[in-house]
Amino acid sequence: MKKILAVLLVVVTAISLCACGTGSKDKITLTMWCIATKSDSNRASYEAAIKDMEKKYPDIKLDWSATENEAYKTKIKTAVAGNSMPDIFFTWSCAFLGDFVKADKVYCLDEAYKKFASSLDEKMCKNTTYNGKKYGVPLTMNIVGLFANMDILKEVGYTDVPGTYEDLIKCCDALVAAGKIPFGCAGKETWCVTEYLESIIEKSCGAKTLDDIFVNGATWDNADVTKAVNIFQEMITKKYFDPNGVALSNDEIKANFMNGKYAFYMNGTWNCADFAKKEGFNVKVAEFPVIDSSKSQLGQLIGGPSDTLAVAKSSKNAAKAAEYTFELGKLICMYGYLDGCGLPAWKVDYDESKVNALTQSVAKIVAASDYMVLFGDTAMPSEEAQKYLEFVAKVYTSEVNGKQFTDGLKAAIR
Amino acid sequence: MRIMAKRKFDGITIFLFLLPALILFVGILVAPLLASGYYSFFEWKGFGDSKFIGLDNYKTLFKTFTYKNNEVPFLWSARNALILALCSVFIQLPLSLGLALLLGKGIKSERFFLSINFLPVLISTVVIGELWRKIYYPDGGLLNSLLRKFGVLKKGAQDITWLAEKRMDGSNSTLLQCVIVPMLWQYVGYHMLLMYAGVKSVPPELREAAKIDGATDWQVDRYIVIPSMKQIIKVSVIFAVTGSLKSYDIVSVLATDKTRIAAFPSTLLKDQMGAWGRYGMGSAIAVCLIVLCFFFAVVIGEIFKDREKV
Repeated sequence: MKKILAVLLVVVTAISLCACGTGSKDKITLTMWCIATKSDSNRASYEAAIKDMEKKYPDIKLDWSATENEAYKTKIKTAVAGNSMPDIFFTWSCAFLGDFVKADKVYCLDEAYKKFASSLDEKMCKNTTYNGKKYGVPLTMNIVGLFANMDILKEVGYTDVPGTYEDLIKCCDALVAAGKIPFGCAGKETWCVTEYLESIIEKSCGAKTLDDIFVNGATWDNADVTKAVNIFQEMITKKYFDPNGVALSNDEIKANFMNGKYAFYMNGTWNCADFAKKEGFNVKVAEFPVIDSSKSQLGQLIGGPSDTLAVAKSSKNAAKAAEYTFELGKLICMYGYLDGCGLPAWKVDYDESKVNALTQSVAKIVAASDYMVLFGDTAMPSEEAQKYLEFVAKVYTSEVNGKQFTDGLKAAIR
Repeated sequence: MRIMAKRKFDGITIFLFLLPALILFVGILVAPLLASGYYSFFEWKGFGDSKFIGLDNYKTLFKTFTYKNNEVPFLWSARNALILALCSVFIQLPLSLGLALLLGKGIKSERFFLSINFLPVLISTVVIGELWRKIYYPDGGLLNSLLRKFGVLKKGAQDITWLAEKRMDGSNSTLLQCVIVPMLWQYVGYHMLLMYAGVKSVPPELREAAKIDGATDWQVDRYIVIPSMKQIIKVSVIFAVTGSLKSYDIVSVLATDKTRIAAFPSTLLKDQMGAWGRYGMGSAIAVCLIVLCFFFAVVIGEIFKDREKV
């Protein structure tokens, strides 16, 4: 009896396994890792895009998971090291993806791009093109914006965001005199300090100079950069920044801004969605004013397409995954733009009239821009980026001045 | 002949029974250890080409003590871990012992107090970190509010930024102290429970005999209970010291992985491997950490061995 039972069990198991095999024979499963966690403002656009893709590609099942930003960097690097990458993965452009490309771990997308060339401008792929070959699908793009709480500015007599540097300083002085805090900046997350510092450097020495330092190998030993760092520190000394900011995270600073603690907040334009959603929050966005008009001008911005999807070379279905990634990227871009999480890297061929007013303001700023310098910590290789971030953190806490900053980076990087 | 065959069979049986554990031990512990040792001799991003650099990673780790001028403040992080270890041994463990002795006397609501003191051990460390973040929060956090209420912080005075790497007014950072306090607090209950078991294992006859001889409560604890708990105290000291060296989660929540002033070997390891992409350096830190843990475990064992002989 026992033998009969055992034989029966084996037969049933074998039939089940065969059934599994035939059922999934025609359906490909692609895996994807990204950073759109449930608290991420881009989560909704990923979910909507993936839902559309399920209908468009019924033969492909996407198995995706999201990991928090900082943890993701370690996770993807570990996966690349262990050759256990998913088929499709989120990455940042320039140096971050460049390291993987250099290690020959990323699938070239030149062939797949041909089908999408009419809706994705070549220049949007600039940051993910290495040795003339494309390796990434850009999603939304963002810039650093100067967000202003207009209700607070109104209290000191301003009805619009100050358009010149002199006016901005006058406004900050008026705010300090009225017992208000002009700026909030998260010292616990150094990238937030770079949003301020890079804008000030760019508007002091010009976008080309900063771009040359970040990506073209120019030296940090630059008198204009030194001067710009000193300007930033002077703003700190004049109590323009919340002194509690050194102990706060970006989420806490952002919440403070949204609750009316600060007049200004310099950060990525991905925040537009959250600001626009808050009822009664009277906020405007502008670009940081020009400090030295002989070297810089309006329209020179910090930012550009950085959020990217790429395909692993180790993927068994790399060609199929490449085409799928372009389609998915286009949809994420569309939904992200409509939600106000950033500007489209892809051409807009849909109704954009419902995009929130704040994001539309950003679109106008970008449309009028002539030079965008990518965020320093994204543009530089990881080793250089970390050294740079260490010095930026020391600038914020006044451990180094402008001269020590440029001298230190000259010695540590170039 | 039959005995020989039986012994051989027994040997094979024992080997087969031990094999799964052996495979797990080698696969999960020994192999990664050897791999870390191997990679520590390379300059490697974790992927792509690697370059053999001999002991250069170790030389960098031990180059300088001052964290400010060092890219990899390993010695500084080891110093922080040792400060925590000392605080654990001389503050946390005596507190745990005191609580264990008190509760071991069979006071009223013994179980209740035991559970209350053990509660922090059951809560996720990340939750504890977030809880203490709220306590240290500069603007209206519990600590600053209390200081204001009791007049330590005057009206109009700047909030104290407890968790700042460096304060904007240039004053010294309190970050390390602020990270150490919750770490000590969380595990008081853990060591208390270990020691409580030791207190309870002392035969009541011994206590009674001492009492009849006229010993006070303190003398009973000092000469009867504590000496009989030596092995448990030894285990607690080893756990406290090696645990201090391996501290990560609360530091990561309160001070972030990028902290320099409150760096611990594990946060440094994560930062080097993750943000800096230095897998070789991270492996060297891992090797040093393992060596330090073994070293202290052996030293503590030896210290208690001597005491036992005496």
